[in-house]
Amino acid sequence: MVNVALPKGRLGDNVYELFAKAGYRCPEIENPGRRLTFENPEAGIRYFWVKPSDVAIYVEKGAADIGVAGKDILLEYSPDVYELLDVGLGKCRMAVAAPKDFRDDPKKTLRVATKFPKIAKKYYSSVGRDIDIIKLNGSIELAPILGLSDVIVDIVETGATLRQNNLEVYETLFDISARLIANKASSRFKRDEITKIKTSLKEAGKL
Amino acid sequence: MNSTQNGLHERLRGVFESAGYRRFKMSKFEEYDLYAKNKDFLVSENVLTFTDLDGRLMALKPDVTLSIVKNSRDSEGIEKVYYHENVYRASGGSLGFREISQAGLECIGEIDEYCVCEVLSLAAKSLMQIRPKYELDVSHLGILCELAERAGLDEAAKKEVLKLFGEKNTGELEKLLNGAEPEAARRLIRLSQMDHEAKVAADELREILEGYVSGDSLELFISTCRFLSEEFGGKVRVDFSAVGDVSYYSGIYFKGYVDGVPASVLSGGQYGGLMKKLKKPSRAIGFAIYLDLVDPLFELKNQNDADVLLIYSGSSAEEIRSAVKTLSEGGKSVLALPQAPKNMRFGGVYKLSGGELCREC
Repeated sequence: MVNVALPKGRLGDNVYELFAKAGYRCPEIENPGRRLTFENPEAGIRYFWVKPSDVAIYVEKGAADIGVAGKDILLEYSPDVYELLDVGLGKCRMAVAAPKDFRDDPKKTLRVATKFPKIAKKYYSSVGRDIDIIKLNGSIELAPILGLSDVIVDIVETGATLRQNNLEVYETLFDISARLIANKASSRFKRDEITKIKTSLKEAGKL
Repeated sequence: MNSTQNGLHERLRGVFESAGYRRFKMSKFEEYDLYAKNKDFLVSENVLTFTDLDGRLMALKPDVTLSIVKNSRDSEGIEKVYYHENVYRASGGSLGFREISQAGLECIGEIDEYCVCEVLSLAAKSLMQIRPKYELDVSHLGILCELAERAGLDEAAKKEVLKLFGEKNTGELEKLLNGAEPEAARRLIRLSQMDHEAKVAADELREILEGYVSGDSLELFISTCRFLSEEFGGKVRVDFSAVGDVSYYSGIYFKGYVDGVPASVLSGGQYGGLMKKLKKPSRAIGFAIYLDLVDPLFELKNQNDADVLLIYSGSSAEEIRSAVKTLSEGGKSVLALPQAPKNMRFGGVYKLSGGELCREC
């Protein structure tokens, strides 16, 4: 039985659809009720939903053999897992955004609000910019509006939220998409099953 | 530590001693200077320090190999030692220092092909003692770096290549190598996908690497893999996702896994980089087993806190002693208390009231 951690939310629904298309459908998950885990013994698979930012932890610690997590989470937390496949879902980008009239003054320490302090720190140290990181857990766009920060480093999908708040993308750092990740020990002791899942997902998603 | 954990530690000692390795016993402390000069080689830069009575700044050992290498003789010959020590590190998600139990061995000196094979063989035998279902993955960091150089990669890109090998991240590796020397890049990608039993890896290794890396290193690596596959069959695999710090390791590198533990429980290799930094003329290979990851496999489940609980009231000390003596016949442990304790488990509960002993249902 392969345990799969799926990220809750729209991305997770799309990921499950891809698994189903790849031959790993699980009727239980389509009528969930109060259950927390869903399995299809014939397909040898068990799913469970977790918070998207927790998928990598479940996989790293072996509670799940495989999972699907965003590249942003993998770069921020650097879990000790295998990154087997770009599943091509949840595409967006990590960007620096700022008020439309923002001009960077290199003489001043830049105040950066973000949910991703490690990514922000790495980027600004690569360009030699002195920054002060303000770690927030949500509503990042509010920070420059209220003068809490000069810029934000955050995920941008369509840019609609930014536009509504009079912000714009100042710089794109990298593209993001969801990745199939695997626990390192499970990849050995469930090698055939995990390889088969990867191959089937690749075919189903034409990846 | 319980008896089964202790049993494992004894068995590991037996494995090391069967090959004539002698125990290296060291102090818990080492001068801080050793770690300050070699911070790059430590898992975590944080070291627990204190000032000794003579004013020297000391550290609780965060690493065993550094101490062993520092104290190794520079004379001719080969030193084979093993250890079972505690190290003190700021580790992972624990948000503080932890005492971590480690066992392992080091082979230092004019080591030859046999020494390398022997160390790898002892690594596999150690894993076997932990769990019958195990796997030892072997790679060669010298070969991997040589091929990366042939692809024309600078130091930063080489570091990124190693990271992507460790993640089995072929997709990102292809993107990174876009623009590198195409033939070497193609070979690097093939190498990153290698995950074969050691006995069938030789042909593919030659196909990928011949003409691109030193012939001697390649043949030695292939012959080591052959040696191991003869002894351990499919349990030893050639898998280049086994990567470590190249400033420390320079040749064969390996990682061990056992069923039931989500991370590698053993790692080691030829640490030429460390020897060079410590200005040691000899070569070395060794490995460590992370007992803190392994010991939970041997935790006794549903174990009682004591075989018998004796709850007494209205009885003299003499009567209690006599009841304890009776109940402890056959070597049973007896906890005698005036009241039943909370959150403890016992094989049986007895009551001693006014000198009369009866079993509670």
